[in-house]
Amino acid sequence: MWIYEKRLQYPVHITKPDPKTAQIILDQFGGPDGELGASQRYLAQRYSMPNRQVAGLLTDIGTEEMAHVEMICSIVRQLTDKLTPEQIWEMGFAPYFVEHTVGLYPQTGSGEPFSALAFQSKGDPITDLAEDMGAEQKARTTYDNILRMIDNPEVADPIKFLREREIVHFQRFGEAMGKIQDDLNFKNFYAVNPAYDRPEPRR
Amino acid sequence: MNDYQNLLLKLQAENFVLQDINLYLDTHPDCPNGLAYYRKFRELRDQTVAEYERTYGPLTVNGVRNGGNWTWVETPWPWERNGW
Repeated sequence: MWIYEKRLQYPVHITKPDPKTAQIILDQFGGPDGELGASQRYLAQRYSMPNRQVAGLLTDIGTEEMAHVEMICSIVRQLTDKLTPEQIWEMGFAPYFVEHTVGLYPQTGSGEPFSALAFQSKGDPITDLAEDMGAEQKARTTYDNILRMIDNPEVADPIKFLREREIVHFQRFGEAMGKIQDDLNFKNFYAVNPAYDRPEPRR
Repeated sequence: MNDYQNLLLKLQAENFVLQDINLYLDTHPDCPNGLAYYRKFRELRDQTVAEYERTYGPLTVNGVRNGGNWTWVETPWPWERNGW
């Protein structure tokens, strides 16, 4: 069950519209390594995670990623506020504007709609955590790339925060992987899938 | 920064501390230092929430004063330019 808190996790305060920047930021909304995909990946994986601590981590990081979706959308919203038709044409924003005006639609930086193909929920704790660690690094690299492309400090500031969080999440998922392995037979981690083969009580 | 912005920033900072230690405690639930750290910042955050809600409006739906107006929709949304 979710409670919504009426605040951003970290401030977003952008004073100058810039739809060109908005288009690359949008990749972190609906793109393959973006925040929406991240939240759905972790929240989906938690149901089959037999370890309660790791299920808690997936729930809490998945929830934090929803807060990051909100930040990304706030950045895009403030970058596309009050645009003139000339600005829209000049900044290459016309194709998006025609389909979505200045609404928020989850798509990749290159215009592909958001897809669940970008993430996996494999029902195997080792596999799922390996997926999650990879996902956080992919997100971190995407933020690195965004930071290379922009020089507006009002945009760079919240983006740097989001990038830092990816690194922390990677760390936490790495520790969770260790936990999962502690639960398994040290002679062969792959002997069973604890999410399916062993009907043992959750711990 | 005005008083509202200062209080919101304080709230965001204190909540962030809790968010971060929350993730750590999920996989280290018995860590005494972690729990002490959580307890301390939880106290501070709860006081800031009370002050914020008293002065500026609800942070969650449950923060709407029972019997009052439906203030939930009367304050700016966080993605607005002045919603911070």
